[in-house]
Amino acid sequence: MNEPAPGKPDYIKIQDFSFHYGSKQALFDIRMDIPEREVTAFIGPSGCGKSTLLRNLNRMNDLIEDTRSEGDIFVNGQSIYDPHIEVISLRKRIGMVFQKSNPFPKSIYENIVYPLRVAGQNSRAVLDETVERSLKGAALWDEAKDRLHESALSMSGGQMQRLCIARAIANRPEILLMDEPCSALDPIATVKVEELIHELKKEFTIVIVTHNMQQATRCSDKTGFFYLGKLIEFSDTQKIFSNPAKKQTEDYITGRFG
Amino acid sequence: MATPLPSHATDRKRFETGVWTLWTDRLMTVVIKFGGAMVITAVFGIFLFILFQVFPLFLAARVTELKSVPLPDAKFTILGVDEWGAKPFLVKPDGKMLFVDFATGKESAVPVDFGDSAPHEITAAAINKREQKIAVGTADGKYALVSPDYKSVAVDGVPSVSASPSASAFKDIGVPGAKVLDIAYGDSGAQKLVVVLQEMDGKKSVSALQLKRKHSLLGKGADEIAGTFDLTALIPGRPDNILVPSTGDGVVATTEDGTVTYLGLDPEGKFQPLQSFRPFGDLGDARIAVADFLFGDVSLIFGAVGGENRVFSLFYPKGGSVRLFGQTHEFPKLACRPTYLVTTLRNKAFLIGGRNEASLRYATTEAIRWQADLPFTATNAVISGKYARILFLDDERRLHFFALDDPHPDSGWKALFGKIWYEGASEKKWEWQSTGGSDDFEPKYSLIPLIFGTMKGTLYAMIFAVPIALLAALYTSQFLDPRLRGIVKPTMEIMASLPSVVLGFLAAIYIAPLIERQIPSLLLVTVGLPIAAAAFGWFWSELPIQLRKFIRPGTEWLVFIPILLGLGWILWSLGPAFESVAFVTTDPGTGKKVADFRYWWPAVTGASFDQRNSLVVGFMMGFAVIPIIFTIAEDALSNVPGALKTASMACGASRWQTAMRIVVPTASAGIFSGLMIGLGRAVGETMIVVMATGNTPIMEWNIFSGMRTLSANIAVELPEAPHASTLYRTLFLGALLLFLLTFAINTLAEILRQHLREKYKTV
Ligand SMILES: Nc1ncnc2c1ncn2[C@@H]1O[C@H](COP(=O)(O)OP(=O)(O)OP(=O)(O)O)[C@@H](O)[C@H]1O
Ligand SMILES: [Mg+2]
Repeated sequence: MNEPAPGKPDYIKIQDFSFHYGSKQALFDIRMDIPEREVTAFIGPSGCGKSTLLRNLNRMNDLIEDTRSEGDIFVNGQSIYDPHIEVISLRKRIGMVFQKSNPFPKSIYENIVYPLRVAGQNSRAVLDETVERSLKGAALWDEAKDRLHESALSMSGGQMQRLCIARAIANRPEILLMDEPCSALDPIATVKVEELIHELKKEFTIVIVTHNMQQATRCSDKTGFFYLGKLIEFSDTQKIFSNPAKKQTEDYITGRFG
Repeated sequence: MATPLPSHATDRKRFETGVWTLWTDRLMTVVIKFGGAMVITAVFGIFLFILFQVFPLFLAARVTELKSVPLPDAKFTILGVDEWGAKPFLVKPDGKMLFVDFATGKESAVPVDFGDSAPHEITAAAINKREQKIAVGTADGKYALVSPDYKSVAVDGVPSVSASPSASAFKDIGVPGAKVLDIAYGDSGAQKLVVVLQEMDGKKSVSALQLKRKHSLLGKGADEIAGTFDLTALIPGRPDNILVPSTGDGVVATTEDGTVTYLGLDPEGKFQPLQSFRPFGDLGDARIAVADFLFGDVSLIFGAVGGENRVFSLFYPKGGSVRLFGQTHEFPKLACRPTYLVTTLRNKAFLIGGRNEASLRYATTEAIRWQADLPFTATNAVISGKYARILFLDDERRLHFFALDDPHPDSGWKALFGKIWYEGASEKKWEWQSTGGSDDFEPKYSLIPLIFGTMKGTLYAMIFAVPIALLAALYTSQFLDPRLRGIVKPTMEIMASLPSVVLGFLAAIYIAPLIERQIPSLLLVTVGLPIAAAAFGWFWSELPIQLRKFIRPGTEWLVFIPILLGLGWILWSLGPAFESVAFVTTDPGTGKKVADFRYWWPAVTGASFDQRNSLVVGFMMGFAVIPIIFTIAEDALSNVPGALKTASMACGASRWQTAMRIVVPTASAGIFSGLMIGLGRAVGETMIVVMATGNTPIMEWNIFSGMRTLSANIAVELPEAPHASTLYRTLFLGALLLFLLTFAINTLAEILRQHLREKYKTV
């Protein structure tokens, strides 16, 4: 197998992006380039707008009433607000794991194959294969393989979160957005998810929000530090954690914050 | 160095629960328990009350002996009774009437003045109950009519019955001097018919005498002979019993071998044989032991020598044009040979018995109201006119008075729910008809047509309401702009509280006439609009996004509604044109070709077309039900956690896919509740049905005919129902059924709802 071509450094290009919830501005002129097939981490104190930005990458914020955005976001050179782009196919290209796990009230199996089903895929073999691969990818296969047809809601909180990861990667999206995927997981599962991230980044572009500094150092290539809706610093992870350019960043990383 | 804490932060009291908190908690616990218990008691109380009203319908008759009176040693040819059962009489062969007073237990022989000094031996007598007249026949071929002339007078406040019998003079009838074996007398007021069965030298003959009342200037007219007939030749076999209906226009004779011959007077005044049949022809012994007309005189009751008991009624056989007797009821066999058969003037009950066996039966429902082995051998019996006493005469000449307590003889499981062969009908039917024009009308209390009507009304209402309500709820909760949702939702809730009498009024005054004239338009719109809506949706999704983006998601209706309204108007106006093409038929009145759906429908389907039909009811009741289903379903749909919708959208599902695959299943328990509450409302809905249908208790699914529902039936009939009558109690039974129906629906709904909730519970 060939080594994949080096990814574009500006695969996701965020240009002077601002975002408002009604009268409240949550993001201020964000400008960042997220490279292809690398892991980019968003860190920052609670409420600084990490999730908001993440949700904008696949236009999930469209669903929230009374919101407004300025600036633009390009994925692979194409604006996601381009009227030619069908938002549904955009979302199919971008998988997402939410901060709070949100499995459907269906069986484990049906949860995972949901992205395929809505895309019209109903072949049993394809679905079976997807379920196994995704569950293995999300380090859930051993626990779930014997109860695929039980309700997803009978799982533990951590299992549900991994199920959501499995669902997000089921249709093999190009970009995977993960909002604190490990906040409900035990250390072992966390390690597994981090391994998964390593694995996935060979093919996917990954954006991960985390409050765990170690996790950011362990698995991300680039890190962006947000504060009060502004991107304070964005550079290689190593640089941020060893030699941050901004005082605020350093304070936050070293825990001298707030 | 730490600042000292304030006392309230160190006080041990901060761990204690306040007295008031505890008290309030206890008090509220008690109040809530009490309230709950009261609700349950109230519901249970209502249930018990209704049950208490209903249960006498299912009781059998109670018959208890009051007293017995020994009679003098004489032969009696007949036993009769007054309305109250207080002063029965017996006719002695010497022409004397023996009255027995119930209160004193004394008998008194009253000579009847026949205006004839010569003694005549009375050998036959028959009572015409309706006219309270006794026809007597003598051993020497004469007949006379006797009236007991009962009067009820209050003596010192106690009602007592007195009799002062009078009689017409003996006149010759039939074969001169031949002994009268049986006599029958029919009297319709204008026409009287006396028929006698005589025997002379072993030869039997049947003769009829027609009397007509001639009105004289002095008021009461005298009967004049209008015709004499010898019927012997018309009757095959040796007759042994003759009957005349009270209409006085026919004769029924039974013969010794068990054949029944039915003769009728034709318009020319001649007797014609209409029918001859053997009621027990299929049995080994076909001989008839007893026979009589049932109250109303269109049914004949027969008791076979072997104890079998059948009822034959006059009806038009299927396809026939002459009313003939046909078997309508069969009763359980008696153990002995029946010797008496008596009917009542109150209802379709009859008493049949022999030896010590007696059985009180109700012809219509084939029910045995009472049956017993008597401690004596009864030779004759009679039921009082008020259906309150039964009198038996035994072979030791004792007259036994029995109290009869049977307030609802025409009721019972079979009457209420079974298929019944009513008099005059050509087949078994479920029928509701509580009142009728004539005295001998038999009320029909089958609840099946009402249950059917309830189901029909509910069905049409739900067919109309469910799709609209559910789709509207889905659209409002998932697709409509949230600000508009804030307007639509409360508006619908206000609609839910619209009094149904207003809807019913609208339906009856406005909608029914409108729909009646515009069925083709309505058809076009009903078929056209949904298709147009679906086509519009498809067209919209095919539009290039550059055009679509001008309309924000959730406001597509701005384009959609005007287009559909315009289309609806066009379709509506095309109605008459459509009618003139598709619904051409011949007007049954004029015979001309007309384009009119109102004639076309009956002509093509054979079903009727009423102005106030199920379509109107379905439409209007739909309006009553839609807001309920809508509100509850919309709530359920809106309450689906946003996280699920977001998750679905993030998986690349469209809004419709999200709605159908995630939102609807998750909200299914709530949607189901909405459907069931809507169903409950439709089942119990009264005013709309009362006003918008003809309230005809028919059993057909035809959408262009009306119906009568259980609830409407109560509303319509209860004001007219005498307290504690069968009708009154049956209406309560209808209420009980509604109660149980709602109870069953709710229980089922709750079980299913719990199941759905379990299945689709969210985290
Ligand atoms: N749906 C919403 N409506 C209104 N305001 C919102 C909404 N979601 C987020 N906000 C606001 O936007 C700001 C950013 O929120 P966001 O969820 O992006 O924070 P975050 O960085 O993800 O925080 P955390 O680490 O706690 O998840 C917050 O002040 C929040 O109050
Ligand atoms: Mg967040």
